Amino acid sequence: MGAKADKVMDVCLRAGEIMLTYGAETYRVEETIERMARAAGFTNVHCFSTTTGIFLSFEEEKGNGDLMQMVRVDDRMQDLNKVTEVNQVSREFTAGDITVQEAERRLEEIYAAKIQYPMWLIHLGAGVAGGGFSYLFGGGLFDFIPAFLAAMVASFTLVTIEGYLRVRFASEIAAAFAGSSTAIALVVLGLGTNMDQIIIGSLMPLVPGVPLTNAVRDLLSGDLLAGMSRGVEALLTSLSIASGVALAISIFL
Amino acid sequence: MQLLTEIILTFAAIIGFGIIFSVPRRALLLGGMIGAWTWTALQGSLYLGITNVVATVIASFTAAVIAHFLARRVQLPVTTLSIPGILPLVPGSLAYFTMLSFVESDYINGLEYGVETMLQAGAIAAGLVLALSVFSFRKGIGNRYETGD
Repeated sequence: MGAKADKVMDVCLRAGEIMLTYGAETYRVEETIERMARAAGFTNVHCFSTTTGIFLSFEEEKGNGDLMQMVRVDDRMQDLNKVTEVNQVSREFTAGDITVQEAERRLEEIYAAKIQYPMWLIHLGAGVAGGGFSYLFGGGLFDFIPAFLAAMVASFTLVTIEGYLRVRFASEIAAAFAGSSTAIALVVLGLGTNMDQIIIGSLMPLVPGVPLTNAVRDLLSGDLLAGMSRGVEALLTSLSIASGVALAISIFL
Repeated sequence: MQLLTEIILTFAAIIGFGIIFSVPRRALLLGGMIGAWTWTALQGSLYLGITNVVATVIASFTAAVIAHFLARRVQLPVTTLSIPGILPLVPGSLAYFTMLSFVESDYINGLEYGVETMLQAGAIAAGLVLALSVFSFRKGIGNRYETGD
């Protein structure tokens, strides 16, 4: 195995790992990796990716030096900015604008980078999203405030508990429970009138938008395995949210 | 007047969602605008007397078409724009009432709401599919790379 092939393999898999972790569609991961490997001059490139792992194989030259490696992707998060940046790196690498070393350096930077928005802004965004949707689902204009607060509580709970707990669905149940409990408490205290709409609004920030859209896209482009698993992930998240709310409602109402 | 308030709130809420999903800065406002358009298309179709499911297909299709078009123009992965585009259609309200009915052991109503939720989710997917097929015309679905070539 040549040193260059080894390097390219690492760079390709790192690019794929970042994309898959932070919410890219499977077809985009496979295509990006295959393009990068071909641009580096290798033949017989094949990449297979599911929601939780990537396999990549290519030949150093026609007929010999077969290489094959895989990575396991454990975490799945939402950071579409990182997907965009990796896309940019791969585009420049494919066009021959940057070398393998430079691509590796930039990918490591992206990998180590923190999320681009500060945490308070994310909670604020969740609050605005929750408040806005409570109105769109038929609440009054003054229901914006309780829904805003409840959505912020839900988002804060989700982030905090995810820091301690490895089971993702448990933190979603807890977040849904905390959000809807806050909503119920605020309505009981006299802030806001339409309890149903406020609860729905407070839960909107937890909606699995990225897995849902990616599931449809993956199924359509023929990645049946990845599409099904993403769909199941979205379904499980929805069920976790539902059970969190159901818990809050049956305890407090 | 009420529609205007709704559109402004959709715009704000979608930008909030964009921050949650951490879309790139230059996609934030674009996503908000696509989301606002989705809501306008949905309400407009409902106003014309089109049924809920078909209106959702129309809104999701137009939003996804705009997202694909803009994604090529500004060189972004299409998900960063299509996710904000379809978020206003998510049947959160229906899903909530499904759950509520089952909790109160009102199974018949729960099933009715559940079927409606599934139909609406299917309608969103249908719109996405239609837009995707328009934009992969003559290219083949597996070989698309929005930003390349």
